[in-house]
Amino acid sequence: MSDPLLEVRDISVRFGALLALDRVSVEIARGEILAIIGPNGAGKTTLLNVISGFYHPYEGRIVFEGRDRTRLAPPDVAALGIARTFQNVALFKGMSVLDNIMTGRLLKMRGSFLLEALYWGPARRQELAHRAIVERIIDFLEIQAIRKTPAGRLPYGLQKRVELARALAAEPTLLLLDEPMAGMNVEEKEDMCRFVLDVTQEFGTTIALIEHDMGVVMDISDRVVVLDYGQKIADGPPEQVRKDQAVLDAYLGVAHD
Amino acid sequence: MTEILRGVFLAPFKDMAGSPAFLAEVLIGGVFAGLLYSLVALGFVLIFKASGVFNFAQGVMVLFAALTLVGLMERGVPVPVALVLTALVMVALAFAIERVVLRPLVNQEYIILFMATIGLNFFLEGFGEMVWGANVKKLDVGIPDRSFMMAGIQVNQLELFAAVTAAVLVAVLAVFFHGTRIGRALRAVADDHEAALSIGISLRTIWVIVWSVAGIVALVAGIMWGAKSGVQFSLSLIALKALPVLILGGFTSVPGAIVGGLIVGVGEKLGEVYWGPLVGGAIENWFAYVVALAFLLFRPQGLFGEKIIERV
Repeated sequence: MSDPLLEVRDISVRFGALLALDRVSVEIARGEILAIIGPNGAGKTTLLNVISGFYHPYEGRIVFEGRDRTRLAPPDVAALGIARTFQNVALFKGMSVLDNIMTGRLLKMRGSFLLEALYWGPARRQELAHRAIVERIIDFLEIQAIRKTPAGRLPYGLQKRVELARALAAEPTLLLLDEPMAGMNVEEKEDMCRFVLDVTQEFGTTIALIEHDMGVVMDISDRVVVLDYGQKIADGPPEQVRKDQAVLDAYLGVAHD
Repeated sequence: MTEILRGVFLAPFKDMAGSPAFLAEVLIGGVFAGLLYSLVALGFVLIFKASGVFNFAQGVMVLFAALTLVGLMERGVPVPVALVLTALVMVALAFAIERVVLRPLVNQEYIILFMATIGLNFFLEGFGEMVWGANVKKLDVGIPDRSFMMAGIQVNQLELFAAVTAAVLVAVLAVFFHGTRIGRALRAVADDHEAALSIGISLRTIWVIVWSVAGIVALVAGIMWGAKSGVQFSLSLIALKALPVLILGGFTSVPGAIVGGLIVGVGEKLGEVYWGPLVGGAIENWFAYVVALAFLLFRPQGLFGEKIIERV
């Protein structure tokens, strides 16, 4: 990996006495789908939170597109082109699906408040241009029918899809998905897998995702990183990780068939 | 019995029909008071929407803004300059509050933030009086408190001016917060802090913006109220009248704050003049709270508040 998109170097995160991440290093290459797996409490979400700026490591560095950005706050990370979704769906529940996805465009919007307020001239053209992009994403994720529904009223599976749509609306370089398929039925999972694969193909987005369903992980990821008790215990292609003894002991051993 | 029924359901309306000009004057008085309530309520709504904080200090912000304005004018600063300076002071206050109060308390329980605004309330009250003095002051921004006749109705020039200003301000705010990027960001922040952060909205910027706007709204309310009845401590008490307005209109709705304010203002004036004599007067003081209670029973989210959706 000569020129990784994101480099996480030796980061450690501590919550009081608990060492949530212990000198973890991960590289993410441009255009790949990286799966982060591990038993509960292994530090997967913490890793995602560090990358997106919600937590700051007490040691180690994060380099994105060649620049150090270890201590940025979440909005600044978003401005760099890193979008994410959350384990427990964080949508704007009172807003319609369309408005939710439009908020994903906020960083791309520029212009005068006055013109915007009057919805006139460039402001109007800008709004329409953003609308067009959002409509493309809506078509892509097949959620046309619910675009006017308040997000809070949707079933869980659809909420996850809308959250993905909002993240995509920001046209991110790197997309972080925290358990995008948790709580879904088989059919919904298959849809989500297809979307994840299509996103990399169509938009060239690099994806890092946390997932518990090993079938899904083996199917869609190019590379798998395994965490256990805050430490990285394996890193490689799915077939190789699947046979790794440390992984089997820590994680797959229980569920291995 | 029939006497009482007649007194409640018939006589007041006969009085109204009998003297439409007087009724119009009562209504105008009600609209004026209502717009002022709306302005104070707006300050609450903006801050509540953006940060979920119930800003106990909103009423004192009105007093503080008025005190600052009067203080500057007493020292010989011309009115327009004093207005701009006071607005700048309110913006500076917003930055200070974000830095000193909100930022260290981010992610704390709402009740803790609420307590913090109570502290802010007393600090601002004391600080304002320390800097500008505690005596009652006359505020004269150059609009004469005179009345003239229009179509047989007596209209007070100051009230008219105040009403127009309030209406314009409210319209500008409504457009600003609904049609723009900031408006969308504000709604996003109101809904979910984490998600808002993840799509690149800076909570700090939003907080400074809403507290600045709330400060300027407080200034406008302070000017109007101060010009009417002098700048004094009781100004901060109009915040108490804004509470029933909020319950009526919904804590998260800008149009709700306006309509709620008008209902309370007009309602209490009508009640006072036409139904007051039945119970010996002074309806004006409690009318709003009774209406608010009724709303809490039957429509707790208010007229325009977002429906409370709970998944179980």
